[in-house]
Amino acid sequence: MIFNEHYGIYYKTVAEILKAAIDHPLCSNEIYDIINKNAFKESILYIVPALQEERWQLLKMDGTTPLKNTPFMPFTALEKQWLMAISNDPRIRLFCEKPISFPDVEPLFLPEDILIFDRYGDGDCYEDPVYQRNFRQILDALRKKYPLSVSLKNRKGGLAHAKVMPKYLEYSEKDDKFRLLCSKDHFVQIINLGRIQTCKPCGPIDSVHGKNEAVRRHCQVVFELVDQRKALERVLLHFAHFEKQVEKIEKQRYRVTLLYDKGDEMEMVIRILSFGPMIRVTAPQYFVELMKERLRDQKSCEL
Amino acid sequence: MAYTELIKNFNRIRDYMREFYVYGFKSREEYTKKSARSYDDERRRLESWLGENMKFHQTPDGKNVFISIDSRKSQHNPLYQAWKAKSFTDGDITLHFILLDILQSAKGALTLHEITTEMDQYLSEFQNQRTFDDSTIRKKLNEYISEGIVIGQKQAKTMYYKKAELEHDLDEDMLNFFSEVAPCGVIGSFLLDRIEAKASHFVFKHHYITGAMDSEFLCIIFQALRQKRSVILKIIRQTNDSAKEIHVVPLRVMISVQNGRQYLMAYNMKYNRITSYRLDYISSVKIGEINLQFDEFREKLNKMLPHIWGVSTQGRSSSRMEHVEFLIRYKEWESYIPNRLEREKRCGTVTHFDNHTSKFEADVYDASELIPWIRTFLCRITEIHFSNEALEKQFRNDIKEMYRIYGMEGGETCDI
Repeated sequence: MIFNEHYGIYYKTVAEILKAAIDHPLCSNEIYDIINKNAFKESILYIVPALQEERWQLLKMDGTTPLKNTPFMPFTALEKQWLMAISNDPRIRLFCEKPISFPDVEPLFLPEDILIFDRYGDGDCYEDPVYQRNFRQILDALRKKYPLSVSLKNRKGGLAHAKVMPKYLEYSEKDDKFRLLCSKDHFVQIINLGRIQTCKPCGPIDSVHGKNEAVRRHCQVVFELVDQRKALERVLLHFAHFEKQVEKIEKQRYRVTLLYDKGDEMEMVIRILSFGPMIRVTAPQYFVELMKERLRDQKSCEL
Repeated sequence: MAYTELIKNFNRIRDYMREFYVYGFKSREEYTKKSARSYDDERRRLESWLGENMKFHQTPDGKNVFISIDSRKSQHNPLYQAWKAKSFTDGDITLHFILLDILQSAKGALTLHEITTEMDQYLSEFQNQRTFDDSTIRKKLNEYISEGIVIGQKQAKTMYYKKAELEHDLDEDMLNFFSEVAPCGVIGSFLLDRIEAKASHFVFKHHYITGAMDSEFLCIIFQALRQKRSVILKIIRQTNDSAKEIHVVPLRVMISVQNGRQYLMAYNMKYNRITSYRLDYISSVKIGEINLQFDEFREKLNKMLPHIWGVSTQGRSSSRMEHVEFLIRYKEWESYIPNRLEREKRCGTVTHFDNHTSKFEADVYDASELIPWIRTFLCRITEIHFSNEALEKQFRNDIKEMYRIYGMEGGETCDI
């Protein structure tokens, strides 16, 4: 079962404490540090007395332990089943040529047991050897922190070149695409991996790319929501992945404040439109105008 | 009972997490399902587990607690923390570390007697030495055998125990990725906890994390699916919070990446039909008998899929199938619009008439499921028809209502 103490933070933290105690007798401060680093905010209140009062007979008063080996736990059957299940995912080839296999273990699930029904149909091609090679090169650059020279197909089909300092690989489950996020003049430059033709290490690039931490341009939209036809649940689940705040303003009426990335503004407009009259954008005014512009255009369609 | 940070039952905290994360506008007084004491305890636990992701907002009605996470910044699903807070007894944790240490030190497999003798040696180093009887240790070893941590081998009448081997090194990047995107990803998070993980190189867009709370049920459903067994689901009725039990044959798990909901598509034996069940409405799952018609039911579902837009297998009209079609217009330079139709459609067909007009049409069990998607094309819909007349009327009324709420009733138009 998933909900099992073996996977718990307390077991992990105690393993860390015992690992240190095998090396040398522990003082209280060291124990506190290990707990603060590994466990929950209040765990210190429970783990320390349990060890000190010898309710958990693992650490002696002198800070040593009767254990002889660094604690380690073999993979559980469930962990092996999960690893076997993901080895059937085409994306596993981005990470390794030969996925982990346990010959005597059945996968937890098979691809035919799952259907992601609203994913867009033009996702990246994970079986493409060029894509796999580029992905691994980027991952290596991220691990070792070196810049890359990238050539990519632009929207018109031509070839463009760029020297970039990779920061993260961003994956969208809806688009089923990876994007490479790079620093560029304080902002984030985004390159779709599917467009990359070649990708290789290069020498140092302009310092502005490497040293400045890239930031996203955050914007805020405020809308009022009428809870009819289960709109409250549908809207809040749909926008759950954003940083947000919800206030009840009267019976069945709510005010929602969402933070989004400026680069995703058009996407935000159509996502809000999808809820029809259940949502009315109230601020900022330019976002209200974006909504009205769409509706004006719709009105001109004389539907 | 005195407050503790760890919990025995996941279901209660699951409800609070969903309330705080998805909704987050209720004050303490509005949580009426349980006592105020229960609310305080669960809130305190979540604060301890989730740290800075727990936020507060003061309103005239009181303090609202909510979980606010920008999943694009958060590289690991913070809700997984709850799965790592299972309570245990003093004996459980003592036995765990000493047993595994004894088996790790041993050159070969050990008998129960050898383990018990060794165990006493370890415990004798403590002032208030506790003892574990043979049956307790045997029970724990059997538990570990079923979990795959310990291997038990019977020779003649004696059982020998040894620790399972750690067979592979794990790729941290692979775990960082799949622990966020694969079903039951929390298991990947457990594996990540085993290694000295560094910062992840992945971030996630459109990343829904609420499914994490249903991982245990999903896991049991997968087990039933693999064994072609039926399951007994306890479902919470949303109208009055009461629970009902149903007997179904699980066929497939349908996952949305546009709202994070997870559904079980299953054959309901009482009503003889395939229906969807939301995992977050389920409060327990029990595995039942092997069902010999599993392959037949799954084939039936596969044949239905080209007519299911979301998960609904029954519309509001009396017709078995509902037709929907709409026409959109766009400028020649807006080639991304017909592309959107192609890549976003889940079923149905798209016809491109010329460089500025395209039509989508589909026959589906429940046309109402398409409405949110159709609305994303507002500003360019020139024709729309639903075979379900009530649905078409509602669609058109909704557009009129949108004009009204944005103050555009009075004929404010703009030609394009």
